[in-house]
Amino acid sequence: MSNVIETRSVRYHVGKSFEIRDLSLNVPAGSIYGFLGPNGSGKTTTIGLLMGLLRAHEGTITVLGQPVPGAAPRVLARTGFVPERPHLYPTLTVEEVLRYHAAFYTTWDWRRADELFGRFELDRSLRIGGLSKGETGKLMMLLALAQNPDLLVLDEPTDGLDPVVRRALVIALLDYVSQRDAAVFISSHLVHELERICDWVGVMDNGRLVAEMPMQTFKSGIKRLRVTGAPALVEDPPFVLLSRDTGETLGAGEVWVVRGWQTPMQQYFDGIGASLREVMDLDLEEGFVELLRTFRAPQA
Amino acid sequence: MIVYRITNTLVGVSGLMLTRIDPRSPTPLYDQIAARIRVAVAAGELGPGDALPSVRQLAGRLRVNPATVVQAYRALEAEGFVEMRQGSGTFVREVEPGRRSQERTAEAERLVREMMAKAARLGLGTKDLVRAFKQEVGASG
Repeated sequence: MSNVIETRSVRYHVGKSFEIRDLSLNVPAGSIYGFLGPNGSGKTTTIGLLMGLLRAHEGTITVLGQPVPGAAPRVLARTGFVPERPHLYPTLTVEEVLRYHAAFYTTWDWRRADELFGRFELDRSLRIGGLSKGETGKLMMLLALAQNPDLLVLDEPTDGLDPVVRRALVIALLDYVSQRDAAVFISSHLVHELERICDWVGVMDNGRLVAEMPMQTFKSGIKRLRVTGAPALVEDPPFVLLSRDTGETLGAGEVWVVRGWQTPMQQYFDGIGASLREVMDLDLEEGFVELLRTFRAPQA
Repeated sequence: MIVYRITNTLVGVSGLMLTRIDPRSPTPLYDQIAARIRVAVAAGELGPGDALPSVRQLAGRLRVNPATVVQAYRALEAEGFVEMRQGSGTFVREVEPGRRSQERTAEAERLVREMMAKAARLGLGTKDLVRAFKQEVGASG
């Protein structure tokens, strides 16, 4: 399967304070790719690079098989892009914005636009400047979907929106994807929102991509173990011991968080005279937090 | 009559699954979806020839990736529970009664295992659970 987005060893810096380093992203065709990371980790900058709005200092970027920024206009013609901050003229009405936007896209689909209008309950006569945050969010999604894109790049599309609007946007997005085999690249720090819909995750921290894998691999590799009778010092475990918490568990043993867990590793505990009481799975948010913790302090 | 039955089934299945999908669970989402449908077939809620919701409908209702729904339907097809007909949808196949009761037993066992794991985390033993179970059954029966 080919990738709809591929970057190789991309470097980009803003002054001396912030740098994207050695960025090699792979977004498989047909996937819904969740781009995670704390605020300020470089998600929006990366998206700017992918959309040709910023120019990388090193490395190559390919989107929909075309080089960026060289072929950015051709890429953007097939990409529905919802930027972090909407870029609509405040004096236009919703209807005018639609007509304006439609003129740029040969693939524009008025039927889909009308359908989404009904679904989102938007009023075409309103001025952009007077729209609420939720209405603006809906309009941005409508514009992106109505252009019938092969790729959707969404930068925090639901940030700051209420749960009802968030849900409406996600459903519209899924509905589009199930009708058309488009890929979605969606950045968010709202981990739970992505957990349901994404099949791939990439995690950014401090300008670097610290993990990229199928969602299921991400969720199943990190475990929380309940262990009793373990010596204070453990040597050469077959997994990566991320953290060890000896207190507060009321005689139920210690809690270890490990990475790279596989079932046969249970035998390791017999070897050190301890017993493994339970293996617990972590959800995406917990896995995300633990991953960042180890990445930032590898010796801990 | 037939129309009524199909609609009724669709509402039933979606309602059932809507409340049971847990994205935070370690069980993959497609597995959770497949399990709900398997149980519905085992319990006779879904009969032979009944249509499952379309991928698009179910993905929207559950707010999951359409690929996840397809994966669930494929798994069910491989197990012989449903049949995916190109262009017309996914339909429940005839399942022999033995298989249906097997599936019910398997699901009950899964539930008990989950409960025991939770209890262990809280420091509760099997005895506590059995006692509570008897009391609960006694109260409702």
